[in-house]
Amino acid sequence: MSALPRLPLTVIGGYLGAGKTTLLNRLLSEPHGQKIMVMVNDFGAINIDAALIERADGDTLSLTNGCVCCTMGNDLFMALGDALDRRPRPDHLVIEASGIADPAKIAMAARAEPDMAYGGIAVVVDGENWPKLADDPLIGAQMRGQVQVADVLLVSKTGGALAPNLAVRLAALSRAPLLDLADLPQVAPVLLGGMAPDGVQGGLQGVAADHPAYVGWAHEGAERLERPALEALLAARPAGIYRLKGHVLSPDGALEVHVVGPTIDIKPAQSDSTRVVAIGLASQIDRETIAAWWANAAA
Amino acid sequence: MAQITVYNAQKIITMDANRPMATHVAVRDGRILAVGGADCADQWGPVTHDSTFADAVLMPGFVEGHCHMMSGFIWDYAYAGYHDRIDPDGKLWRGKTDIETVIADMRAYASTMPDDQPLLTWGFDPIFLQSERLNRHHLDQISDTRPVAFLFSSGHLMCVNSVVLRMVGYDGATNVEGVMKGADGTPNGELQEMAAMFPVMRRLGMDYRTKAHQEKYIHQFAKVCVRAGVTTATDLFATITDQGLAELKRVTAQPDYPVRIVPTIAAMNAAPEEIAAQAHAVAAHSHDKLRLGAVKLMTDGSIQGWSARVRAPGYVGGQPNGLWNTPPETIFALCEVMQRERVQMHAHTNGDEASDVTLNAIEAAARKHPWPGARHVLQHAQMMEGGLFRRAAELGVCVNLFVNHIWYFGDQHAALTIGEDRAARMDGCRSALDAGVAMAIHSDAPVTPMGPLFTASCAVNRKTMSGRVLGPAQRITVDEALRAITLGAAYTLKMDAEVGSIETGKRADFAVLGQDPTAIDPAHLADVPVLGTVTGGHVTLL
Repeated sequence: MSALPRLPLTVIGGYLGAGKTTLLNRLLSEPHGQKIMVMVNDFGAINIDAALIERADGDTLSLTNGCVCCTMGNDLFMALGDALDRRPRPDHLVIEASGIADPAKIAMAARAEPDMAYGGIAVVVDGENWPKLADDPLIGAQMRGQVQVADVLLVSKTGGALAPNLAVRLAALSRAPLLDLADLPQVAPVLLGGMAPDGVQGGLQGVAADHPAYVGWAHEGAERLERPALEALLAARPAGIYRLKGHVLSPDGALEVHVVGPTIDIKPAQSDSTRVVAIGLASQIDRETIAAWWANAAA
Repeated sequence: MAQITVYNAQKIITMDANRPMATHVAVRDGRILAVGGADCADQWGPVTHDSTFADAVLMPGFVEGHCHMMSGFIWDYAYAGYHDRIDPDGKLWRGKTDIETVIADMRAYASTMPDDQPLLTWGFDPIFLQSERLNRHHLDQISDTRPVAFLFSSGHLMCVNSVVLRMVGYDGATNVEGVMKGADGTPNGELQEMAAMFPVMRRLGMDYRTKAHQEKYIHQFAKVCVRAGVTTATDLFATITDQGLAELKRVTAQPDYPVRIVPTIAAMNAAPEEIAAQAHAVAAHSHDKLRLGAVKLMTDGSIQGWSARVRAPGYVGGQPNGLWNTPPETIFALCEVMQRERVQMHAHTNGDEASDVTLNAIEAAARKHPWPGARHVLQHAQMMEGGLFRRAAELGVCVNLFVNHIWYFGDQHAALTIGEDRAARMDGCRSALDAGVAMAIHSDAPVTPMGPLFTASCAVNRKTMSGRVLGPAQRITVDEALRAITLGAAYTLKMDAEVGSIETGKRADFAVLGQDPTAIDPAHLADVPVLGTVTGGHVTLL
């Protein structure tokens, strides 16, 4: 295995016009401190503040904050390979799936590939048009399918309030947290997680701790869990944790854990301590609840 | 004054109604000067007689309207498929009809390779084998020291040996959709869909993006074409890079390069306006043997993968309807922009719902931006029936039917995918011609082998692998089928004024055959030997 840290991959799904590009523009301009690589379908739709653009080179935009934005071409998976081979390797890869794509088919690559980490599937749901799209005889099944695989659902165009019937329909399809994009002060914590890029190995400071709307929780210890016990513990995590990641010691070597919404991904790793960070919305969870739950790990 | 060469042949089938048969053809400057008897060109000045083809039958060079230049580089891999297949250098790879033969042949092949090289194979399709499903234990018998990966013919599946599983870290603890597991809870070697296959492909260097347009493979592709008598061939979903374009331009311009190549740009992953702009930009690089400017849309999936978008009554096993690769809304947007910008479209539509939606989109676009002579083409169009064909005819839309499916998958379509009635009318050449649609037929090589005479035979005989005749009412005559693989296909590429028949003024593109396809039992049409081709007067014999 490569000595480089794994490249986390987050996939943004959602139909045409749902607001995926707006979300990416937002992400790229936020002060998240990470060097993100964003791959999009339609380069022309990306509309970054000109002041942020350092260099435009063919189909790659380099930003002053160290992020890059590029097109993926006709072979998405080989483009993933290019991102992995890029030096320095980006801190996080974000892919905009095409409007009709099943984002899980892309995100699954992060679970399969030893050099990648699962960063989850965020599906942008068009608050105005989704119910109509979901009932469309031609594309309805694919629209509902996107919601079914989401780890987090981000609703756009709500006009300030999530329509209850929309929330009910989405909840019937998905266990993923449902967030109104208008309510989110920052999108990076939801899309990337709350840590600085070297968070797992090093510091535990990050965006989550910096913004009052989010709760960040970090833990370092020496607890050792067998894989089944870890899986059971994670399965019993409190609702309201959107993301959790870290290294957990186990009798057969350390495990790297990525939890996004309802999805749990575990891979072998190297670490000399157990270090975990989690993030949720302050309105839904507090640090004490997370700490109390994790205390079961030592029990 | 340029030299005039008069070739005599046993027979020349011209596909020109003015003179359907001839014995001599005169060539000057790469073009046909005259057709007829020995004296056909005498009025043009002194001639040189050439009897190279004295024992052969000449036809217009065949036109393969739907294939991929990947047919050239796929032979870097070992062939592990069920049917006999001939590689570009003429070597026969015998079909492997049971797992034991697969293992034995691939073991023998691996023994000729350097130790550190992975064994990669193509063409294997589990649908044809009755036995146990291929798994890592079989592949471990081929080699337990080198990586072994079988890419299945659908492109969506592979099977790998234990060496490869270790290389990518797949084990009992792996919880990845597509990493299939056996009864013992460990991966059995089968990997489904790209996400599970990607770590393997990345480590074994299976990156196809730019390969097709590298010099070596452009030549390799030409060999595949010559073997099939093809002088004009498409690359029907091309990613065109600056470097690839430069290579294509340079290599195909070489005087002895024997094929006119027609790459069409993949109309995906960019705004329609950008795609149209790229099509125009590359069109400026066209020359005699390289034709650019058209685009390819990918609307739905495949019928045998149950991913084609089909209309009622759906799939016979109750499978859910298939998947759009391009949403209908975007199909409409693409059609409108391409029609407005005068860019010809080839649209992959396997299921009848996909054909229907695409016809609707073309109709809407044509209303806004009239373009007589657009000649957009529905590719595969396998489930179109009378009604859709008549609409295509009204709209001036062509079809290029994937009639090779009748032989390769016809039995499966009747039993497993769309059921008896619709299988009997699928790839319905008779209905298309009767409706007055401009029609071609194709191989989609390397999905099925390139071989227009085989394709013509499928349209004439409609025999399946089990030997039954599937949908006899859709059979067409030998003459009609020969037209479909020459002038018919040339029409769909807007090259019918230039190639597709042997008549004065057209390019001297011929297929050189060992037998007269119109004088044999039509059941043996596919067995007519191809001896070589002539392209722009340049002779390439096998």
